Amino acid sequence: MSTSTISRDPGYPTDRENYLTNSSGILSWMFTLDHKRIGLMYLIGVMTAFAVGGLLALGIRLHLLDPEGWMFTGAEANNIYNQVFTLHGAIMVFLFIIPSVPAALGNFLVPVMLGAKDVAFPRLNLSSFYLWCFGAIFFVSALFSSGLDTGWTFYTPYSTTTDTSVILATLGAFILGFSSIFTGLNFIVTINTMRPPGMTWFKMPLFLWATYATSIIQVLATPVLGITLLLLIAERTMHVGIFDPEFNGDPVTYQHFFWFYSHPAVYIMILPAFGIISELISVHSHKHIFGYRFIAYSSIAIALLGFLVWGHHMFTSGMSSLTTIIFSALTFTVSVPSAIKVFNWLATMYKGSISLTTPMCYAISFIFLFTIGGLTGLFLGTLATDLHLHDTYFVVAHFHYVMVGGTLIAFLGGVFHWWPKMVGKMYNESHGRIASLLVFLGFNGTFLPQFVLGSRGMPRRYATYDPEFAFLHQMSTYGALLLGCGLLYAFIVLMLSLAKGRRAPANPWGGATLEWACTSPPPYYNFERPPVVGDPYDFHNIEWDAKEEKYISTEPERKLVPEETPGQVPAHH
Amino acid sequence: MTPVLTNLMRPMPFLADVEDSFWFPKQASSFASEVDWVYDFILYICVAFFVPMMAFMLWTMIKYTKKKGEKAESQVTHNTPLELAWSIGPSVLLVWMFVQGSISYLDMRTPPEGSYDVGVTAFKWGWTMDYGAGTFHPELHIVKDEPTKLSMRSTDVIHSLYIPAFRAKKDIVPGRYNYMWFKPTVASEKVSDEELAKAKKQSEGSDGWDYDKYQFTPDGYTFFDLYCAEYCGTNHSQMQTVVVVHETQEELQAWIKANSSRPEDQTPAEWGQLLYNRRGCSGCHSNDGSKLVGPSFKELYGSTHALAAGSDITVTDNYIRESIIDPKAKVVAGYQPVMPSYKGQLSDDDIASIIAYLQSLSSNVAEPAAAAAE
Repeated sequence: MSTSTISRDPGYPTDRENYLTNSSGILSWMFTLDHKRIGLMYLIGVMTAFAVGGLLALGIRLHLLDPEGWMFTGAEANNIYNQVFTLHGAIMVFLFIIPSVPAALGNFLVPVMLGAKDVAFPRLNLSSFYLWCFGAIFFVSALFSSGLDTGWTFYTPYSTTTDTSVILATLGAFILGFSSIFTGLNFIVTINTMRPPGMTWFKMPLFLWATYATSIIQVLATPVLGITLLLLIAERTMHVGIFDPEFNGDPVTYQHFFWFYSHPAVYIMILPAFGIISELISVHSHKHIFGYRFIAYSSIAIALLGFLVWGHHMFTSGMSSLTTIIFSALTFTVSVPSAIKVFNWLATMYKGSISLTTPMCYAISFIFLFTIGGLTGLFLGTLATDLHLHDTYFVVAHFHYVMVGGTLIAFLGGVFHWWPKMVGKMYNESHGRIASLLVFLGFNGTFLPQFVLGSRGMPRRYATYDPEFAFLHQMSTYGALLLGCGLLYAFIVLMLSLAKGRRAPANPWGGATLEWACTSPPPYYNFERPPVVGDPYDFHNIEWDAKEEKYISTEPERKLVPEETPGQVPAHH
Repeated sequence: MTPVLTNLMRPMPFLADVEDSFWFPKQASSFASEVDWVYDFILYICVAFFVPMMAFMLWTMIKYTKKKGEKAESQVTHNTPLELAWSIGPSVLLVWMFVQGSISYLDMRTPPEGSYDVGVTAFKWGWTMDYGAGTFHPELHIVKDEPTKLSMRSTDVIHSLYIPAFRAKKDIVPGRYNYMWFKPTVASEKVSDEELAKAKKQSEGSDGWDYDKYQFTPDGYTFFDLYCAEYCGTNHSQMQTVVVVHETQEELQAWIKANSSRPEDQTPAEWGQLLYNRRGCSGCHSNDGSKLVGPSFKELYGSTHALAAGSDITVTDNYIRESIIDPKAKVVAGYQPVMPSYKGQLSDDDIASIIAYLQSLSSNVAEPAAAAAE
């Protein structure tokens, strides 16, 4: 190069700066206000919940190995199966997917990406973590103690007549809802008020746009869930007659209330995943994200449209024809912004310089799986076909492609992408890639057969089934076992990195967002002073340093004005 | 009309029913071809998008995977006309799906005038079809090419009536009537008498009829599956029955007549056992002493129980009769008052037959008679 350049690399943190080691002892974690430590604790929490929910899922699949039921036997077999699928759904939804990306990764990343020292309300942040823990223990103990068997949807009048502990479980979900609201509120305020000088809305990383959109939904929709659950408790204890037909209530009203939260909640689950994928695709293609504004606006569009489509869960419930048709039309509108994102990601990869790292492998499987999940939604939004497919395995396969193929895969991609930043260690790339391949194959093995099961008429939530469905169910079970192995493999790769991983450089992937401008792991204060903000997807100044296997950012040598240091020490120093 | 893709995938030996297509069970109602056609068309559209997109992704992945440190060929940030095109362009297809889906939906929603009406009662965990004039049966029997309307109610929680071969489904919500209709286009076949006799002989001594094993009804008809599709508790997955499509109205009437009351050659106890299985008693009352939702019928007759209200009662003919007609009047302690009333649904002879069946399950039969003699 003709002009001399200087390279910027923050180097490595000292033990005193490193947020993991700057204070020690269990209390320093329990009472920490550091968003990074809270994020890490959330990560451990949601992974534990995922392990429990995943084992329950394996229980479901093993039971369905045989038409008459294989895993659970005896007179109570059906009841056990019903409890297991209820637990699986409730734990995965309330304890894993909803908090996974926003609370675990979001907590760690939002302030760092903003170049801030912490979130706006660190104490609220810690309290939301403790609410989550409390709610989780409450919820899980309620579920296990009496064997809740209502499904995670708590449909009335089944939930008002069963003798299992519906009240305790809904109270648990209620508490978890508050944790979710607190996190959302915190992020909205943080993103609104704490952006560094120069970071306009359209210079924010797309992960922050997605988090912002998610937080809006969390704050606006979760209270409705709270109201619904309180009404459900009132119905059970005082027979107020809203939901229970025995007291002149209407069960379909409950479904309206419930899905008014739970459909937007679907976007709480998937929007942060979109944010992660936007980062991953751009960074690992070393190319500017294509159509930044379309991606950013589509997140907001999804957040708003997501509030208008809840009725598509109830096409067969006996709503009036007009209502049904309107909900069908609105449902199709929400598919447009999702499609925009996929097209933009593909265009970002085109003419890039792709590194097939583990996170990129997950991002590519995400595009594959999420596209299937999205396209199969069209069959369900179309009224004629929905009447046949509703409440069958087709629906099960569809939402697993979105929630697992989408959110979980993106979450894994995000964990592998930011793992070096969080713990300061690199993992073994080739093993990471093999694990991602196993997850991809196992996932498709589990859920592709379920589309066919569903269109051939297999209803969901069945503990036993007609023998003609056996072959496809068995395929699905073997796929689930492979998926389980893949996930375990990925977990082991991460754990081994802690013990023997190479020390992570500040910027192992070549990202241009601010989290790569501080050390790995970041110092407890993140940044000494608000960093210089540029375009988060401008990779012109990022160079590969082959000797040290890291990326550094370069800039032309500039003249600083004034050139001479002032004669006097400033007064505030 | 049979869609092309469906035809192509027809020979799939590993899927049990060879006559079915890859995606769907047999088309047996007027809706089926309509739904399958819309489904296949959406499938073509999805494939037309998915395959090029994934091929493009794979191609970029192979072509543009480079060594670390190599710069991207382009750093283009956006292209508004292109993005607008791919945002708005596919919407036309979405509009088509919406319109076509809604048109078909309205057809499926509005029963034609003068449809054959069958009352359906769904309960945990079974079905009762009401054929009028006091004839009730768990199987749904209808006539080929005759539009049939189901007027459905639930006595407890939400259920959903689903017949995959008809591509028809509707929730059954307690506290209101829900309606659905369809026109069956394929009649059930009748198996040979020898086969039926063989199966009958085999199934003697076991509880009820194994539809899955024989693939025909106890009357010898092949059938279409009818499932409950809305989760309704413990035995949700066993809440299944069958649909039999008769060739003619006369055949259906004959079947109804044969099932309307106790045939001459059956004892009351035999008929009572049939009703016990057929009318849903067996869902809550075992006949082997095990405790389900309600008290077991074994050794029930003539025994004495404490009531929830406090007093004791001996199970006599009149108590059984009262419990069938007004189940919530005298509930046995330890059970919930959840049984629906069968008032007007069972004839006097039916009730007497059920009493006779309960007597046959009990060793206390002689005692009340002796007590009456004193």
